[in-house]
Amino acid sequence: MPSKQDKKPSIIWFQGVTCNGNTHSFLNLENLDKLLNKFEILSHPSLPSTKDFDTITNCTLVCDIFIFEGTYDPLMKRNDVLISKVVEHYAKNAKYVIALGSCASFGGMFKASAPHRNSGLLFNEQEKSGPLLNVQTKIINISGCPIHPEWLAYTLSMIEKEREVEIDDLHRPIELYSTLAHHGCTRNEYFEWKVDADGFGEKEGCLYYKQGCRAPMTHASCNKILWNGVSSKTRVGTPCFGCTEPDFPRQNLFSTKTNMSIPEDVPLGVPKRSYLTMAGIAKTFHINRLEGKLIDYKTTD
Amino acid sequence: MARITKEERKTNIISAALKLFSEKGFYITTIPDIAEKVGMSVGNFYNYFTSKDILAKELVMYISEYLGESIRKINDQDITTEKKTYEIVSMYFNMADERPEMIEYFLRVYLSNREVFGDGCEGMICVSPFVTEMMMFFNDGVESGDLHDQDFFSAFGLFMGYLGGMVFLFGEKILPEPLEWYKESISQNIYNALKTR
Amino acid sequence: MITKQLIDQIEGEASIFFDMKDDVVDFATIAFPHFRGMESILKGKSALDALVITPRVCGICGHAHLMATVRALENAYKNAGYPIELSKKVEIIREFTLVMEMIQNHFKWIYLTIIPEVSKLTDSTRESTPLKGAYAASIASKAIAIFGGQWPHSSYMIPGGITTDPTNIDLLKVESYVDELISFFEKESIGISLEQFLSFESCKDFNTLSSDISYLESSLVTMKMNEKGFAYDRFLVIGEHTFSKPSKLKQTRPFGIDAKYVNTIDSYSPDKVSYAKNAQYKDEFYETGPLARAIATNLPIVKNMHRRFKDSAYSRVMARVFELATLLKHAKGLLSEIDISQKSCLKSVDISKITATGTGVVEAPRGPLLHTVNIKNGLIQEYKIVTPTQFNIGSSSKSNPTPAQKAMIGMTQAEALFIFRTFDVCSVCTTH
Repeated sequence: MPSKQDKKPSIIWFQGVTCNGNTHSFLNLENLDKLLNKFEILSHPSLPSTKDFDTITNCTLVCDIFIFEGTYDPLMKRNDVLISKVVEHYAKNAKYVIALGSCASFGGMFKASAPHRNSGLLFNEQEKSGPLLNVQTKIINISGCPIHPEWLAYTLSMIEKEREVEIDDLHRPIELYSTLAHHGCTRNEYFEWKVDADGFGEKEGCLYYKQGCRAPMTHASCNKILWNGVSSKTRVGTPCFGCTEPDFPRQNLFSTKTNMSIPEDVPLGVPKRSYLTMAGIAKTFHINRLEGKLIDYKTTD
Repeated sequence: MARITKEERKTNIISAALKLFSEKGFYITTIPDIAEKVGMSVGNFYNYFTSKDILAKELVMYISEYLGESIRKINDQDITTEKKTYEIVSMYFNMADERPEMIEYFLRVYLSNREVFGDGCEGMICVSPFVTEMMMFFNDGVESGDLHDQDFFSAFGLFMGYLGGMVFLFGEKILPEPLEWYKESISQNIYNALKTR
Repeated sequence: MITKQLIDQIEGEASIFFDMKDDVVDFATIAFPHFRGMESILKGKSALDALVITPRVCGICGHAHLMATVRALENAYKNAGYPIELSKKVEIIREFTLVMEMIQNHFKWIYLTIIPEVSKLTDSTRESTPLKGAYAASIASKAIAIFGGQWPHSSYMIPGGITTDPTNIDLLKVESYVDELISFFEKESIGISLEQFLSFESCKDFNTLSSDISYLESSLVTMKMNEKGFAYDRFLVIGEHTFSKPSKLKQTRPFGIDAKYVNTIDSYSPDKVSYAKNAQYKDEFYETGPLARAIATNLPIVKNMHRRFKDSAYSRVMARVFELATLLKHAKGLLSEIDISQKSCLKSVDISKITATGTGVVEAPRGPLLHTVNIKNGLIQEYKIVTPTQFNIGSSSKSNPTPAQKAMIGMTQAEALFIFRTFDVCSVCTTH
């Protein structure tokens, strides 16, 4: 008779071409033990696992949730077994396949290792042409380079509670990716009044105009679910690099692409003409409080 | 006879004011002058514009919207940036020819009497529709690969400064030929200066 | 006969091919599969993009890569005639976050890698507590994130400084994370105060403890790891830091060092393609990492260990434990020196003006990490990375084995596999 223990959903966490960044990011999860207790970990790159790696690559068992980290390279072998075989086997038999990180979701950083053949599990950048097209209804993409541990914890918990995870066109959970990295940015007021940052290393100013910030064009919740529970790139003055999107990594990440000083990309869903009208007018006003160091502005009205 | 609507009457005031400002000058023209020209009482005039300064700002908005709308029609066409350049030059010169009071007002009143336009009309506020369309023109030109990337104001100044200069010469009756005659060469000069090298 | 052993649950994957004779290792070769082509990915990109790309070489020590990149870029600026001045604040904060990354690495290695292996090999019934390592690492990551925005994969260091402009509130938070780490280490790992632990001068002092670390120490002795796992007894420290000292050491005798003498050669791995090149210094193999750094800085307890047990697996493991302790104390000291009124980032000329070559060296958790970048008009012409694991765990011929190969000879296979892990293997870095 199966014990209660056996009813825990089982997880195999398997890696393709990767830097281990998602593995290490996940280890930062607060109350990691409580989450892990709800699952049976058959295999994981660094956590205690109930099966050894030989058993995993033999492809004789199955799991409920197959987590794949890294870019998919059809010619790559793990333990001398083609990963294409391993991925096919577990994806066919699992209830859910989680493509973890931008590499597994879209190809990501290591698509460039072998651009003609590497891809994500379901997507090759924006195009839905990955190897798991035939099981696409099972696939949840958690993009990000790396993923935020809570994004994975949310997805796993929803699965464990047998609740539906709604996804967007790129198979990302809507609850995590319907917001933009811009939402919750502490520099929002500078964006509204078009006050750009004077170089790096300042608390003041918006990084969208010169420093390459992609936050208004990037689906992510980095400024809502803070990194390591404490901060985010834009909060420490680093531009958002758009790492949750299929075109990551783009080029010239520390400068904004402009056409005759006009940003090539404007906030998602905003027509460029409307953006320019609004920006031009906002830029006209000079707001003292936003032009100097915040800490030097001591009047309170 | 159909009754004139409030909107139409407002447009009439704008036309009359533009003419008077460009003929007599901004400071010499009075509200009674304008009211008389439109055929209304001074009291009634104040129902439309509460001061000469407010009228002055509305006029800039009016011209800016007119120009913006005209350039937008050109921007929205599926034609090369070279052809768009010609169309903008052509539209601007036609306007200088057919409604010289609009260009005159813009160049002689708006640009020379900044103190009138200080409050509520600073920077881009009153000219936004026009400047926005010029931004779209430059943006689309660079995006399509026709124009080379440079600072917006360097390009904007080259384009509009050149046109403004020609219209000034035209207004001073210095140009030996009609404006129409210059469209081709001027749009070529502008495009050559802006195009991708 | 050659037998193959797969090593997983390290950073990435490796294979060891053992040639056994009379049940002991006669020779072993090591293969790191999974080439990723980082150096060619960087080619042609804007040099600043390297600040985003190189941290993605490695999920556990990406911050060391970020620092190596920023040092290489700043060196290129200097070589191009545009020297960059860093404020003291910038130097301290960069050093602090690097130290925090080492701390998270060492905690994870102790609890997720080495204690479970020790328990396995000594058939211990002691309860395994791998998540202690993850917890401590997550606190160290919080401290990094206050300055760096996130960990892993922060890109907050840029030529001229750092992107962040911290406040006193930030400093207080970071301080509380360091305090939390110290008390966690005292309570959960060593069972005594950090000061007491750091005052240890002899390995015998461990006998007074009853804690995770004394369990680790006594198990190593039970496994006779103080008599096994010897490499060349030559060490290399190259990165300039406040917590270490660049030197080449033969036993404990220090010599001068210059990064330009680091060379790489093709690895010898007849049974499987390996994408790792071996790293050497003036054509000789050296061990790098915590043991090397402790000897370079004359850490009394590690010197005592070395006098008794040389560069055994025991010394290698315990040096890492001690480095964790010294870094915790060092981190606290660094924080106290930060003057937030100093500039976070000084403006430098646009990268497109730079045509030069630059080298950046840092001490990563496992030893020296070298980045060399050749820039033309701001674009990367060539990028070369040499990682610590290439020094320690290369694969060479029997006549000239690498430190890890040498350390495995004469051992049983189980011992050899353990000794292999004592070097703290980073396969992903190695096959960048």
